[in-house]
Amino acid sequence: MNNNKIDLSSIELSTNVANPKQLRQCDISAFDAIYLGDFSCMDYPNNFSSHPELLADAVAEIHNAGKKAYLRIYATPGNEDLPEVQAMLDAALALPFNALEVHNLGVLRMLKERGNSTPIHLGVFGNLYTDATARVLKDYGVERVYPNPELSLKEIVYIRDNTPVEVLFPVHGKIPLVISETCFIVENSQCATQKVNPRGKLVCDFPCNQDYWLNRSNGGWVLKDTGRMTLSGKDLCMIEHMPELLQQGLCCFYVQSHGETPEYVAETGRLYRAAIERALATDALPGPSGVETLSQLAKEGLCNGYYFEGAGQTYVGREQRLGA
Amino acid sequence: MNASALDPNRPACLLAPAGSLEMAMAAVDAGADALYMGPLGWSRRPSESEMNDDDIHRAIDYANARGCEPRIVLNTFPSPLEMDAWLDKVRLFGGWGASGFIVTDIGTMPLIREILPDTQIHVSIGSGITNAWDGRFYQHLGADLLIIPYRWGETEIDQLKATSNIGIEVFLFETVQTGIICPGRCIMSSYLKFRDWNEGEGNHSFHGSANRGAKECYRVCQTHWGHGTERDEPHQQLKLRSDARLMLHQLPAFIERGVQFFKLSGRERPTEMIRDLVTFYRKVMDGILDGSQTDMRHYETELATLQQRWVKAKSRRVGTLMARAKGYGEQPALHAGTRAHG
Repeated sequence: MNNNKIDLSSIELSTNVANPKQLRQCDISAFDAIYLGDFSCMDYPNNFSSHPELLADAVAEIHNAGKKAYLRIYATPGNEDLPEVQAMLDAALALPFNALEVHNLGVLRMLKERGNSTPIHLGVFGNLYTDATARVLKDYGVERVYPNPELSLKEIVYIRDNTPVEVLFPVHGKIPLVISETCFIVENSQCATQKVNPRGKLVCDFPCNQDYWLNRSNGGWVLKDTGRMTLSGKDLCMIEHMPELLQQGLCCFYVQSHGETPEYVAETGRLYRAAIERALATDALPGPSGVETLSQLAKEGLCNGYYFEGAGQTYVGREQRLGA
Repeated sequence: MNASALDPNRPACLLAPAGSLEMAMAAVDAGADALYMGPLGWSRRPSESEMNDDDIHRAIDYANARGCEPRIVLNTFPSPLEMDAWLDKVRLFGGWGASGFIVTDIGTMPLIREILPDTQIHVSIGSGITNAWDGRFYQHLGADLLIIPYRWGETEIDQLKATSNIGIEVFLFETVQTGIICPGRCIMSSYLKFRDWNEGEGNHSFHGSANRGAKECYRVCQTHWGHGTERDEPHQQLKLRSDARLMLHQLPAFIERGVQFFKLSGRERPTEMIRDLVTFYRKVMDGILDGSQTDMRHYETELATLQQRWVKAKSRRVGTLMARAKGYGEQPALHAGTRAHG
């Protein structure tokens, strides 16, 4: 496929917003679609993924802004969480969401048995590695998949070309590496209270409002800990490679902004929107890619994930890529 | 000799690891009902804990001749570009008499069933299930057995049985509740570094993590990390997950609940240790099944000795892997911007 078949109207640039406060604070004007909710922690304050009463206003606000609204469903529900997940599904399916993002296969089965017809997007922890899996998921109403971050660009394009599902292509932000059912910060933070509620669960005072890091001096390894999810220390950054991605016919681009500031969301959105427009314009003059600005927003530097078949934290500049 | 795992009167089977032909034979001789082994590059273990095809063929023959069921671990997430090679392995080992496969990628399950309609499909721990409805999903997909998460106990087993008819398999580890425990939902190791296969049998694609078939997971969750709010301040040093302890006291209740397979981990352990553990668990399970010894306190001292050997070997293993992580698979460290780190 080549970029003659891609025009601006077929491009979708999306990001994520966890709760109403972030929705108010973030300038999302550069984005075409928003994934609402934090799929990693049901307890996160006013998380769209666990507060059905907040959904109607949010979906209306996003639609009124001319954007698509997707709802993220909790990724690792235990049996005890399933009633709450069911209640979320009840609320969400009664609203005009453009899709639900589901990571857990049990929830997928639940939706199938309910006769659901709302489109489903498979989330990053749904473990999409093969075209065979994409075909199985299609029978469950999955229309878009977030490929496992370990897949290379070549493999993602192969899946896109050989299955009836769309692929989401993350272009920026910290890479989700691990998700767990318990919170590592609450379990280990010296700042966190260790109070237990009557159900025996730790009461959370949200130490994750601060940035937590895991580091290992031997090797200079750094990861970001957001409690129930561990992210890459470095920010995935594909802005230098947008022409190549568009040339490959990819069109659903995503900025992963979990745990980032409103400024980060606005700036990355603005820069990627500009990069897409520049790459698609026939008469565009060469200009700055925006990589320097994005580098300044990334405390631990930039990487390309696994797209070019290296370890996730490596970075390959456009010139090296073209040289290869 | 123990009865065959196919014997419907024998509800609980001991599934033993085979990281080598020698270990396979030792486990069969010590009384395992079933055996699992992984071909090079396809079972999420370093090459020294996987087996070449010839040895797998011999182990299948050895096990089948003695009423022990050979199962093949094909639990990597294959690349979409190597599915044909993956399916060739299924045909090969199925043809040699393997009676089941331990797999992770959901797309592969219907394909195995198409090739081998009567084989047993085990859902690997790498599938990362978290609730009983996951069991229902896999049952409808055609899987026969589901290994339950390390966190699950009797309550969750009851919930699973109430939600689906899928067979249940458990690791012979006590349940643990804290730490980052997420097999199948972790790519930390390959984010930092990985070593691909440049040699060996049949597996030359780009992989990334051991989940996909790269040469090893460096078990970065089991080494110590600094943890804190600011990178440059002193941190507390933490392991990301707790060490699992070998199971004992939960066994009678699990057997009573109809757990079908009890899986001993340890393809990477010394053969003598696996032989002794199989002997131990054979004795414990037989005592429960025939009612001759159902008080697990009887075995506490013996298990404590085995546990000490287990922990010692594990700690040596993590040290070896971390040393490899330092030495192997150097990637070009090209970074944009001024704040990149190598």
